[in-house]
Amino acid sequence: MKLSAYLKDRLAAFLIAAGTWVLVLIFLFAFRLPGQAAVIVSTAALCGGICTVCWDFLRKKGFYDSLMSCAEQLDQKYLLAEMTEEPDFYEGRLLCEVLKDAGKSMCEQIAVHRRENEAFREYIEMWVHEVKLPVSGLELMCHNDGLTGYEEQIKRVDAEIETVLYYVRSGTAEKDYIIRPVSLKRIFSETALKHRAALQARNIALRTEGLDCEVMTDGKWLGFILGQLTDNSMKYGAAEITVSAEQLPEKTVLHFRDNGIGIPADDLPKVFQKSFTGQNGHRHAKSTGMGLYIVKKLCEKLGHGISVRSAEGAYTEFCISFGRDELHSVRPGAV
Amino acid sequence: MKRILIIEDDEILRGELARLLQNAGYDAVQMKDFQDAAAQMTAARADLILLDITLPGLNGETLLQEFRRSSDTPVIMLTSRTGELDEMLSMSYGADDYITKPYHPTILLLRISAVLKRAAKAVSAVQMYHDAEVSTVRGSVTRGQQEQILTKNEMIIFQQLLERRGEIVTRDDLMTALWDNEEYVNDNALSVNISRLRSKLAELGLPDAIETRKKQGYVLK
Repeated sequence: MKLSAYLKDRLAAFLIAAGTWVLVLIFLFAFRLPGQAAVIVSTAALCGGICTVCWDFLRKKGFYDSLMSCAEQLDQKYLLAEMTEEPDFYEGRLLCEVLKDAGKSMCEQIAVHRRENEAFREYIEMWVHEVKLPVSGLELMCHNDGLTGYEEQIKRVDAEIETVLYYVRSGTAEKDYIIRPVSLKRIFSETALKHRAALQARNIALRTEGLDCEVMTDGKWLGFILGQLTDNSMKYGAAEITVSAEQLPEKTVLHFRDNGIGIPADDLPKVFQKSFTGQNGHRHAKSTGMGLYIVKKLCEKLGHGISVRSAEGAYTEFCISFGRDELHSVRPGAV
Repeated sequence: MKRILIIEDDEILRGELARLLQNAGYDAVQMKDFQDAAAQMTAARADLILLDITLPGLNGETLLQEFRRSSDTPVIMLTSRTGELDEMLSMSYGADDYITKPYHPTILLLRISAVLKRAAKAVSAVQMYHDAEVSTVRGSVTRGQQEQILTKNEMIIFQQLLERRGEIVTRDDLMTALWDNEEYVNDNALSVNISRLRSKLAELGLPDAIETRKKQGYVLK
């Protein structure tokens, strides 16, 4: 709180005081009182006035300064009312009351939305489980009736459904994953098996190196992540996919590399952004810009680092790093 | 014939599962009424049980726990729940495998045969084909004094054919088995592996052991 701004704000009050003082002087002279009386009255009034202004300024400065600094430091500014001490002057108390009301209503609003969000998430999870029944039925029917042409379309439907599930999972604060030692070899083999028909239809070769190790992660989530990367490689013209694990002193890095069309340098920093489709997406018109965004969010939730390197027309390589610190120590024998 | 009990409340899915299993040479039994499910499970005298996690009025996991107290018949959980926690719970309650919907039919059949084999402890190192010994440990086929070493891929293919001897095994089935063993071979490589396997068998005096059925697959005679 600045003194100059405070004084400027009180300008009207000062003008009224000055006017009153002029009136008093006029009365004093009208009643022919001696000049000394005018000096004494003026001095007393001036002293009184200055003291009042100083006192008012200081107590308000105390309150508002602490309010401002509190607001500055707070991460969630809507908690301001809770953090402010009630002042001893009327306006301040009014302000505090209003702030508290506003904060309370804000919290209620948030709670409503949180509940709605949670209910929506639960509904989506349930819906995904339900919709998998007819999809499974279709897949079995096609197999039993020997209808080979339909399988890939059914798989696409299933893949899209999975994306919805993981989008919802990636967005909520809830911890619905389990970190435990997982064999990279096993997870990748499950992913490969799931995509086998599509990979072979495109004549894409798979190579693996050094996957015989365990990392701390959620197997299901990692399977989804690898599935998304595989889908992308298939979409963008890969002829070969190489998946390898590299052991560094403090972490294991999984390299997922393909020799597809690559990503233009301008687009590279943005590939993990929501709804970003980039030049490749426009040219191929199959991109929603959600896949890699979800992948990034899942990695963040699991505490894995993810980065991408690419050269247009040559390769694209995703690196996922798994921590190996005390907390993430791998127990031998567990899968 | 191995008997498999299907516990699944979705009628269509149950019917299709039964058809899939029957086509694959199993005796498929369906549970249609889930009253007293645990007793029915025991009474069915199945070699393997496919159990859905979400059943009307009861929970597959609890059912499994109850069943496990009296029986060690292999159980494969079929579920649309795709959480690591669900899988961990099921396995800790004594499930032998956990497969999420929608399962690829050939993968499902592969898992079923793997679990049955494990349960029968039939992973005996030596199997017989005519008068030849097939040893998975040595990775070879021996007939009389002659021994032919098979590569890992050839052995996987031969095992698949041997397990379903006399039946048609599709290229899709063989591919699934190979990929399940982290052998990511392509179409050409499969053909090459089969022709190598053929010539190795021919050298042992077993020519024409593998018959090609056009557009269907292979039959081991």
